[in-house]
Amino acid sequence: MARPGIFKDWFVIRKDLPQARRATLTVVSFVLPLLLWCVVSYVPWVWHPDVKIELSAEREGVTTVFTAGDRVSKAYFPEFQKEVRDENAAVIAAREAGNPETGARRMNQKLLRQLAPLAMAQGWIGQEDGQNDAALYPVWRDLATGAKTAVKPHLSEENLAIVRQNWERLGALSPEFVFKQLPEDPLLKLIPQGAPSNPVYLPAPHEVIEAGLRDFTAQASTGEQTMGDRYVASLKIILWGFFWACLIGIPLGILCGVFDFFSKLCEPFVDFFRYMPAPTFSTLLVAVLLAGDAPKVALVFVGTVFQMVLVVSKTTRLLDPALLEAAQTLGAKPKQMITQVVIPGIMPNLYNDLRILLGWAWTWLVIAELIGVKSGLTEFIETQGRFRNFERVFPVIILIGVTGFVTDQFLSWLHGLMFPWAGRSGALSRGIARVFTWPFRAIAASRGKALAEHAERMAAVRNQTQTP
Amino acid sequence: MSTVLELPSYKDQTPDVAARFARLQERPVALEVKGLTKRFETPRGIVTALDDVSFSVHKRELMCVIGPSGCGKSTLVRILAGLETPSSGEVMVYGEPVSGPGPDRGMVFQGYTLFPWMSVKQNVMFGPRMAGKSDYIAEKEAREWIDLVGLSKFENAYPHQLSGGMKQRVAIARALANQPRVLFMDEPFGALDAQTRCKMQSYLLEIWKNVDITIVFITHDLDESIFLSDRILVLDANPGRVREVVEVPVPRPRSESQIFDPTFVATRKHIDHMMHPPGQEQKETPVMRLAVSDPDVV
Repeated sequence: MARPGIFKDWFVIRKDLPQARRATLTVVSFVLPLLLWCVVSYVPWVWHPDVKIELSAEREGVTTVFTAGDRVSKAYFPEFQKEVRDENAAVIAAREAGNPETGARRMNQKLLRQLAPLAMAQGWIGQEDGQNDAALYPVWRDLATGAKTAVKPHLSEENLAIVRQNWERLGALSPEFVFKQLPEDPLLKLIPQGAPSNPVYLPAPHEVIEAGLRDFTAQASTGEQTMGDRYVASLKIILWGFFWACLIGIPLGILCGVFDFFSKLCEPFVDFFRYMPAPTFSTLLVAVLLAGDAPKVALVFVGTVFQMVLVVSKTTRLLDPALLEAAQTLGAKPKQMITQVVIPGIMPNLYNDLRILLGWAWTWLVIAELIGVKSGLTEFIETQGRFRNFERVFPVIILIGVTGFVTDQFLSWLHGLMFPWAGRSGALSRGIARVFTWPFRAIAASRGKALAEHAERMAAVRNQTQTP
Repeated sequence: MSTVLELPSYKDQTPDVAARFARLQERPVALEVKGLTKRFETPRGIVTALDDVSFSVHKRELMCVIGPSGCGKSTLVRILAGLETPSSGEVMVYGEPVSGPGPDRGMVFQGYTLFPWMSVKQNVMFGPRMAGKSDYIAEKEAREWIDLVGLSKFENAYPHQLSGGMKQRVAIARALANQPRVLFMDEPFGALDAQTRCKMQSYLLEIWKNVDITIVFITHDLDESIFLSDRILVLDANPGRVREVVEVPVPRPRSESQIFDPTFVATRKHIDHMMHPPGQEQKETPVMRLAVSDPDVV
């Protein structure tokens, strides 16, 4: 039989693809968005509507100050450069005319600090040395003499020339930084430099990964929490909230599903209550339960429990009534019908309901962590988002997504293991179930074998005794 | 060119059969139904599903209930099992009036209704366990019943791993494990394919022979009812009334070849006429005209 071509039969209406192709597509479904993100981030002409400033400059009489790391639009950046160039031209013109301005020492001191972000990026000065003039002064010297070369970001030819020109004057006056020895007339400003970049809300993958690694491995300074602490705090809230919701919601849901009495007594109110968004109760919950985790747990509870009652009661009602009738004809009493038929019968569906509701609970968690004293992962997202450090926000969002996804996949896989009779277990989970039950089966088999051997021996003994 | 069979009347019974019916009449009455009426209230008014149904079944008799769809067969059996209450009338099992379902009356449903989370053995153990028997005793009894229906090899299998016929055998074993005094079967083989159904009918007769049980069997399959039963209760539809109780003249033990027995054919014809009177045959449905006429297709 000829193998079908690799391009054939990908699109067949309502027919499952072969296993290998399905697996491939599963991988692609994750790779595709990642690839898109990489393309947008790394291929220069795709988007990059902004310029990320590497070297900035202050302008005369303009109050807006851009610092390194800020983003300006691509259209504005050349204008920004031109303004600085014009200022430089004016300084040179005044100098050549022989009447330069005086009293520019303070300005010159600030001007020298222009190189600070570049020097920091190269690691020539520490992160805290942005205003350490004594450390910055030699940087000017080294760049001018060529003892040091800026690599990433590199210094444009134009700026290198400006550095040399400035150093000519500085070096002549003093070999090291002395405020009184700075020139009286203005030095030349460095022309702003920048690299094309995406808007602040779309950091590149490597930035996200670096920030994520840094945040997740960072040691906590005093009074702060590590990411691990935050993660545990968040998990605690969601699990406690969900636990209480289960404790109340499942029994009530089953009662509503089994007895019309409870259904009519509870469900109309529950149905009404669930339309009131849980977050609207947040201030009330804080007032009642005060600060701490209690109102947060309560919010997850309130957000989940009403849905749970309705979903569980519906699932209970979906149980084949014929099973209950069969149980009745077999002599089951009402209590036995609930414990022996209803509960085991709805288990697989109930389990799936809880899985879906746990997903909901994550939504409530994010809101819960914002009420009262902000806490957990959400507090981090909130704080860093305010500072527009989105490369630090994304790893946490992804962490929540991965947690939810992995939990759900795991629980789904466990479903096949726990409810083999529901007939949904795949080959893998059956295999693992076999591995887990192997010791028991082995013992049973060896006992069976021993019994058989014993019986054989007895038969042999009987035969021997009978032969003579 | 058709030969008209010289059929005996369905009422002609051989001496053996007649003697057997006479003996059957002398047995105690296992199930007695008196004036059973069931009305449903629907938005369009009151519908009478059963109207004054009365009959009795003797101990170890196998009676089939047959009738056109909508004659209230299922309603009848559900009332007998206690799953529904009649509007009026009375059901008595060995003289005791019935109220609600109970383990003295077993039921086998068309839809198997095995508990899917229990293995075959656990399903059969259900009744004895509900009766308060210890797991050990229940298991021992269950094994015997499973053996009786020939499923010992599958005692640890789950229902979803079994075929339809096997499932129904488990359902029968489960009902019998309670040792009910009367067993109701509501079209139990209706969902099975023709071959399996045939086999299951023989199985049922075999079980009935070996177990002390009275069976009321609901069906809409004429051949099935004649093959299985001692007597057939024929119901009319709208409202469901007893049309006739037919004593099946086909001698026992039954075998599949008896379908061609003149007594079998006569009974079949009689009941068929009762259910579909010759005068009331449906008008011929208009047939689509074919463009090409084929002499071999007529």
